[in-house]
Amino acid sequence: MLTIVPRIARLALLALVCCAAVQKPPADGSGAGSDAIRIPFENYTLPNGLTVILSVDRTTPTVTVNAWYHVGSKNEAQGRTGFAHLFEHIMFTGSGHVPYGLHDKLTEGIGGSNNGTTSNDRTTYFESVPSNYLESALWLESDRMGFLLDKLDLAKLNAQRDIVKNERRQGVDNQPYGRVSEILSHATYPPGHPYSWDVIGSMEDLSAASEDDVKNFFRLYYAPNNAFLAIAGDFDPAQAKAWVAKYFGDIPRGKPVTRPSVAPVVLASGQRLVYEDRVQVPRLYVQWPTVGEKNDDQYALSVLGAILSGPRTARLTKALVYDQQAAASVSAYQGSNEDVGEFLLMITPRPDHSLTELEAAADAIIDKLKSEGPTADEIRKALAGEELSFLRGLESNLGKAMQLCDGAGFHGDPGHFRTDYQKSQAVTAEDVKRVANKYLTSGRIVLSVVPAGKLDQASKPAESKKVIIEKTPRPEVQP
Amino acid sequence: MKRNHLCLKTTGLLLAVLAVLALVSFPLLSQQALDRTKIPPAGKAPVFHVPTWTKATLTNGAELMVSEKHDLPLVSFSITILGGASQFEPPDRRGLAGITASMMSEGTKSRDGEALSNAMQMLGTSVGISIGSESGVLSFVSTTGKFGATLDILADMLLNSTFPAEALERLRAQRLVALTQAKAQPSSIAGRVFPKVLYGTSHPMGQMVTEESYKAITRDDIVALYRTYFQPGRALIMVTGDVNPAGARAAVEKALAAWPAGGSKPAFSYPALPAPRPATIYIVDKPGAAQSTFAIGNPGPPRNTPDYFALQVMNTMLGGLFQSRLNANIREEKGYSYGVSSSFAFGRGPGAFRTGGDIQSAKTDAALIEFMKELRGIAGSRPVTDEELTTAKDALIQRLPNTFGSVAGLNGAIATLWMQGLPDNYYQQFEKAIAAITREDVVRVAKQYIDLGHLAIVIVGDRATIEGPLKATGIAPIVVLDIEGNPQTGQ
Repeated sequence: MLTIVPRIARLALLALVCCAAVQKPPADGSGAGSDAIRIPFENYTLPNGLTVILSVDRTTPTVTVNAWYHVGSKNEAQGRTGFAHLFEHIMFTGSGHVPYGLHDKLTEGIGGSNNGTTSNDRTTYFESVPSNYLESALWLESDRMGFLLDKLDLAKLNAQRDIVKNERRQGVDNQPYGRVSEILSHATYPPGHPYSWDVIGSMEDLSAASEDDVKNFFRLYYAPNNAFLAIAGDFDPAQAKAWVAKYFGDIPRGKPVTRPSVAPVVLASGQRLVYEDRVQVPRLYVQWPTVGEKNDDQYALSVLGAILSGPRTARLTKALVYDQQAAASVSAYQGSNEDVGEFLLMITPRPDHSLTELEAAADAIIDKLKSEGPTADEIRKALAGEELSFLRGLESNLGKAMQLCDGAGFHGDPGHFRTDYQKSQAVTAEDVKRVANKYLTSGRIVLSVVPAGKLDQASKPAESKKVIIEKTPRPEVQP
Repeated sequence: MKRNHLCLKTTGLLLAVLAVLALVSFPLLSQQALDRTKIPPAGKAPVFHVPTWTKATLTNGAELMVSEKHDLPLVSFSITILGGASQFEPPDRRGLAGITASMMSEGTKSRDGEALSNAMQMLGTSVGISIGSESGVLSFVSTTGKFGATLDILADMLLNSTFPAEALERLRAQRLVALTQAKAQPSSIAGRVFPKVLYGTSHPMGQMVTEESYKAITRDDIVALYRTYFQPGRALIMVTGDVNPAGARAAVEKALAAWPAGGSKPAFSYPALPAPRPATIYIVDKPGAAQSTFAIGNPGPPRNTPDYFALQVMNTMLGGLFQSRLNANIREEKGYSYGVSSSFAFGRGPGAFRTGGDIQSAKTDAALIEFMKELRGIAGSRPVTDEELTTAKDALIQRLPNTFGSVAGLNGAIATLWMQGLPDNYYQQFEKAIAAITREDVVRVAKQYIDLGHLAIVIVGDRATIEGPLKATGIAPIVVLDIEGNPQTGQ
């Protein structure tokens, strides 16, 4: 069970002692070059509960402000799916003292940029601007944190509802294979589970969202005690602190937020589904429920993904794409949310090779890995690129601000990136073998996406249940 | 949207903002010391110095440029080859350049494809090789410590590739599957049909990769293209990041010592464009589509047009920003789309002006009316405001420092000057050139380069839903095309 209150309290204490602390190279000497895994930062908490994280980098005269709220689609009520993301759009429609349009004017209109993103677990808003516009960026963010409802009306809600529906059409309904994600989520998690619906939500639920929904959601989740504010780039920390206090200090603390209780999912048995789509090439998806950000098995599961697919020497890629030449492409990876995760395998066949054949071929490769475990070389190769990836992430203020907020929000430590790196580098062949056996079991969803009218192209068609999507895109399984 | 908010986009924004704020915000002031109605003023503009670089010519004729950036232990390396598929691919072998580039990862005289892949994985990096329409590139980003070893692998791929025949068959089969998938994807369909309609099949920019062209490619074609194309006489070697010019040069000379002189820069002489046809709506039927994918435009000017800066300002106003006219209207005001935009594909040849986006099917006709309204507007029927002009210029000028923020960005920014034949002081002159653009320039280039009477309007969508309403707009006659961009028979 996760509740936010203890973590926030712990953060507040932590902030007092580690203000001005700069991340130091590790004393444990873990691996050559690991002293490059460093983001200088300091953090503190305002009396209203807002966590502030500052990271100075004067390389380029630009600065990024990232406002991160610990709310996502998993906080939605049933019948209101898609609401967290719809709300994200509302946040760009103006607030108490910022008329619509000014936000864009003070970001992209001066050579900067802005955007917002919503996940299952969090919603984040950012502005990247020339460094002399930091104060106005903070003013913009503080105004919508403190005064969004002053200017809210039904017309604004309806306009954004239409745009979000267009976003769904573009990203889901009009995309080949576009419905796969929501079919898999629905099949993997039991009804009512906070991860059983997708972030984009359903058309019906988007239509149902009311003005009161917006107000209640804002009051509960967009209070400073549920928010993290990172500033990264070219700025003077003392000046930034003064501005943060000035613009955010008087926004009142909200009620404590109760997190949904998220039960881990284990599928007692497998489920086979087939979905007819407007595609010309069938595809096989296999999804296993695994673990999320808070469980250290995620590190070995990520390495498992890198050993199975990606470079031509990866086991599934080598076997299916190169040696057997039965697949045009294959991918396998661990996706980690805050509380849960999934390991997803996807295979696109070459003509004259059936999904049934490819499923069996993939299973044979995975079974071999489960019994033998990976080689030391495979582990080394999977981990060798991490330092470079980390360093390249440091080239962007936004990349840094996001890492710091994710660490603070999900783990109570803006410096969690270092723990993350160390745990990842510490993964052994034995770990990978263990997680492969623990999670890649018969408790999985096998989904075949086939061209309309070609149900026989499914993997084991006779055993596969047809997914019917009525007008509502909430997938229903019919026997 | 509230009506008073809409007004803000068409009148002087800041003045209107202040007027609105004056009305609504005073009650708050009595309770708060902080006056939130005041927009915090910008601080003193930061000083930004455009990065510098050294230039040299290697003994084999390749040019070398080095630009230092030492804040992180990273190096970006690239070899850019001038000219691309449009210059070097035979018309009946479209796709050859892309396959040739991929074949260079399939093995060298001393390492097979797996050995190459293993070596790169151990270094934690990978060499990318690709050939685009007007240039090709071999490149990687590495940590400083792995630069030399990664460069050796790139050199091996460039100089010693063996092009195994069985790899060609695998790559061909994979690409055929990808092509089949692309034909189910509305934006891919539009991306294939739009250039064909604009340039025709006798112009390289209008020729598409097809099943037939992929099937026609032989190993001999690949070896021949490789030998002709990858020559130092048309190459720029660019090293940026945590290096010094002398060290970089020594490493490059050593790694590429076996690259023999040869080759010259291509002329980029494109055939004449087909005679412009009167504006036409081309419907590509996608039964049941939830949206209509729009691609509207015409061939545009090359990058070296003296009107480049005016075009950039004009396009920024029209469809380059979120609050540009097109998106402010069609997404934000009307709610027909998740986003629409416009752009010029500037290069050596007549790259296209293109505007469009994905539109809710039921609003296809209404959206086209708005697209046409905005295109007429920028050409003079809707006056350019001071506010619009200032915003467009500020956006273009002040985004410049970000261009150089990463080692790969720095690499690309300098290589672009070389590729497009632009002067070394281009970035220093940029602000002045943009600042000089007037509203008359904006209207003039809109009229000159967006040919309203001859636009190609490609719409991929559900014909049954959209054809009647589109016809009723009277905007242009309708031609129905198949997904290959050919007139549909039996319509």
